[in-house]
Amino acid sequence: MIGEYFAGLARDIEAKLAAEPAASSARKVFALEVARLGVRLYSPGRPVAWCGVLAPFDLLNGVGVTSCFAEFVGAMLAGMGAATPPLEGAEQAGYAADTCAYHRAVVGAAMQGMMPVPDFLVATTTPCTGGLAAIENLARLFRRELLVLQIPRAETEAGVRFLAGQLERLARFAAGRAGTALDAERVAAAVELSNLTRGLMVEIYDLARKVPSPVGNRDLANFGIVVPLLMGTQAGVDVARATRDELAARVGDGKSGVAGERFRLLWVQNRIQFPNPLLKLLEDEYRAVIVVDELNDVTWEPIDPADPYPGMARRAIGLPLNGPAERRVARLRQLATEYRVDGVIHPCHWGCRQGTGIRGLVQRGFRETGIPVLNLEVDCIDARSFSEGQLRTRLEAFLELIAGRPRASA
Amino acid sequence: MVRGMMDRALVGFACVYTPLPLLDAAGFVPWRILPVGDAPDQAGRLLHDNLCPHVKRLLDRAMAADLPPLAGIVFMNSCDAMRRLPDAWRVARPSDRVILVDLPASAADDAVEYFAAELRALAVNPADWGGTSIRDADLEDALRRYDGLASSAAGLRAQLARGELPGGAAALQAAINDVTAGGWPDGAARLAASSFVAPAASAAGDAARPASGVPVFVFGNVLPEPEAFALFESCGARVVADDVCTGSRVLAPLAPATDADPYVRLARGLLGRAPCARTIDPAHPGGAATRVVDAARSCGARGVVAHVAKFCDPYLARLPAIREALREAGLPLLVLEGDCTRRSLGQQRTRIEAFVEMLESR
Amino acid sequence: MRFLGIDVGSLSCDAALLDDRGELLAATVVPTGARNREAIARATDEVLRAAGVCAQDVTAIVSTGYGRDRVEGRRAAVTEITCHARGIQALLPGTRLLIDIGGQDSKAVRFDAQGGVADFAMNDKCAAGTGRFLEAMARALEVDVSALGGLDREGTDGATLSSMCTVFAESEVVSLIADGVAVGAIVRGLHRAIASRTLGMVKRIAPDLSGLVVAMSGGVAHNAGVVRALSAALGCAVRVPPRPDIVGAFGAALIARERFGG
Repeated sequence: MIGEYFAGLARDIEAKLAAEPAASSARKVFALEVARLGVRLYSPGRPVAWCGVLAPFDLLNGVGVTSCFAEFVGAMLAGMGAATPPLEGAEQAGYAADTCAYHRAVVGAAMQGMMPVPDFLVATTTPCTGGLAAIENLARLFRRELLVLQIPRAETEAGVRFLAGQLERLARFAAGRAGTALDAERVAAAVELSNLTRGLMVEIYDLARKVPSPVGNRDLANFGIVVPLLMGTQAGVDVARATRDELAARVGDGKSGVAGERFRLLWVQNRIQFPNPLLKLLEDEYRAVIVVDELNDVTWEPIDPADPYPGMARRAIGLPLNGPAERRVARLRQLATEYRVDGVIHPCHWGCRQGTGIRGLVQRGFRETGIPVLNLEVDCIDARSFSEGQLRTRLEAFLELIAGRPRASA
Repeated sequence: MVRGMMDRALVGFACVYTPLPLLDAAGFVPWRILPVGDAPDQAGRLLHDNLCPHVKRLLDRAMAADLPPLAGIVFMNSCDAMRRLPDAWRVARPSDRVILVDLPASAADDAVEYFAAELRALAVNPADWGGTSIRDADLEDALRRYDGLASSAAGLRAQLARGELPGGAAALQAAINDVTAGGWPDGAARLAASSFVAPAASAAGDAARPASGVPVFVFGNVLPEPEAFALFESCGARVVADDVCTGSRVLAPLAPATDADPYVRLARGLLGRAPCARTIDPAHPGGAATRVVDAARSCGARGVVAHVAKFCDPYLARLPAIREALREAGLPLLVLEGDCTRRSLGQQRTRIEAFVEMLESR
Repeated sequence: MRFLGIDVGSLSCDAALLDDRGELLAATVVPTGARNREAIARATDEVLRAAGVCAQDVTAIVSTGYGRDRVEGRRAAVTEITCHARGIQALLPGTRLLIDIGGQDSKAVRFDAQGGVADFAMNDKCAAGTGRFLEAMARALEVDVSALGGLDREGTDGATLSSMCTVFAESEVVSLIADGVAVGAIVRGLHRAIASRTLGMVKRIAPDLSGLVVAMSGGVAHNAGVVRALSAALGCAVRVPPRPDIVGAFGAALIARERFGG
């Protein structure tokens, strides 16, 4: 079902772009490449790896393995409005409803035969324990080989060495599964592409910072978390370039993403993945724009193509979702300042110990800056518990509060 | 015993993978911060409601200043909730010295090497904390002391499994709690089986009577209160063995290692011993299920009780596989999910009794 | 010889009286109220009076339910899992799965081929999907709770309730009424939601439902709409004994006879 969905999506977008090239947009290019990735994941005969969020997708692309983080499936199913059956299936099999629905959905999908059987799996010990356990469960269900990348808590010399060694072993293993020996030149070429994408992402986020911002509420939704899946490929560069060009053109034309931008917001962690009216409400009734998502951020240095593993290790270790809350909160505050936001929306995804676990610490961190924070108690995947009225009331009250304060971008 | 041992400063810890011999060698007495008391009511200010109640009860103790003076606190990076604990602790008690030590999820060689580096980094701190700098010989001594305590504890557990330990599981739990809550220096004496007495009720004359009740194996998070074991017995269940963070995993023997470097030996010994819920053996995905079945069989249990903290991802994610494996093995499973307080366990009395009735009728 | 079973639940206190052959002489259900001792006394009096039996003629009392330790004069206190199991096996022999939905909790019991308890699950943490939940929803719909079964029969499919939390479901029901959705459709939606929630509990102890003989007990089993929704969710027929609300008390009385009948 999911494979057909991707194939249909790719066909539709390709047909539209062919019929009307002028109607192309960066978001369409992005959607097309994601659909193509989906098609590859669901096509038999090519090496596929289901992974944890912090797996090095550019490296895996470089050695010829199509890979994806498992949470992607949960988000996809939610976006299609199809997450309930796998969620119910997982719950009936005993997966507690108190656990993260991204993981419950993907495990349920696997049990219901909606997931392609991978060649192997790569779990990562961060950002979350639930994700690690979910990949372990998938390996058990699929009876496929499991590799675990242990991500150290801090960028110590021993820590970087430890992870770099694991990454190199992963590269050899994955290349073997793709039927080749590890080819340093192919990896270097993938790293070059990855660095190019990274550079374009930096430009994109620089553009998004402008007042008014050229981004609308959907332009960069899930961008920073999904683009890494395409890194190390030309498609990643193409998507990032199209996005950069579109935003640059808007800035050149003096256009903002949300007409008459009034409020600028920071969105913490993930978006709500199932269709819901909140973004439209923000835009239509309050002229509010999410100028920055926490996950739309470049926190790593370009990687040395000649010696990629230590750089990839630093990239994973340095992600603010890893390490102490203090570091993550500091980065959030920095983003809030740089993007001149008026408020912070923190959707506390039910079941996420990693992200929402620090709800109180995020709130405390922002209290000192005077930037208001709205905690939304939601489940970003499980629409069954979505209560539109309640969320709408909270969101509106929050925007009214912001409206009574001086604008950060004034 | 080293002179002056009784005046040593305490260092707090919360996880059984904490390198206790290292704290000992640095001149400290390890002091386990146990999740005792009521359900957490303060911690929600800093940590989300859906976070592990064990961790939140520890934080509650910090926020309520319900702790002795601690020279420092060593936490282990075992899961999301444990990662958040030092974060929140630093906010709640900014003057405490708090360290988070990385804890690899497997015992592969490179993980041992990395963990040894973490331990060496930890060994740099004692002087700042008012301890002594560690010589290799001190660590060797401490490792020997630990081995002694671990083998005493193992002996007691074997006696318990045979139903011959006076006072049963409750008495053993009380002794283990004593040793880890500051009783380290005379731990050997505290663990001497001769010091075990049956509880008051049976002291009247039938102290030698073998323990009764259906034998069960308990696994899960934390069950630190001796009264919890007494509750099981009052429901007709006798806990013959456990795999719980406050039970058999405490003072568990270190895995044998022959490395010359005592830090590497300690690292390998800790990572290589009986796994817990956060451990992953990549070669055996879902291995937790096999471990539970094996442990229950080897202690002669007729049923298995999972005592799981609400919101504990490592267990919640593995329960379905464990349930399946136990079903195949013909061993009934009772899942008790709660906040790990005595009150929450008490509310489950009907479940425990029904479970016992079911086991008895089979 | 007479044998008395008393099931002290949170909402109702049930009593069942058996003769020495195990035949039911009388049974009663009284509200527990705030003082369960009074309810126990009342239920005992009622059942003895109905059968024309004096208290001295009762050979043994077995109590069950959450207040089982409050019953004076009991020879044994046995959990409601074991009592319901015993009761349903006598009333509907061959039952392999029992679903009991009472006023405040629900439980599921799986049986082995001999009728012994093989596994069970209980939900007593929240009122969602129980009798109390249905009472709250009936109030929101401004109908009597006993009318829900009939409304379900006349209703149509179409309305869905996403939340099973009593608080949220109530406001959902209110907004469905405001949207002009027919009461019958809302009631069906409620019953379907209860069935789906119950299915979650059932699947944990019985992953494979094929070929299982299923029975339902508890006060909610009087509601034919819930039984129908459950049957649809489980994909098999659900049998209901004649007095589904006294299965626990009946089972307790049977146990009294077996253990203390000499």
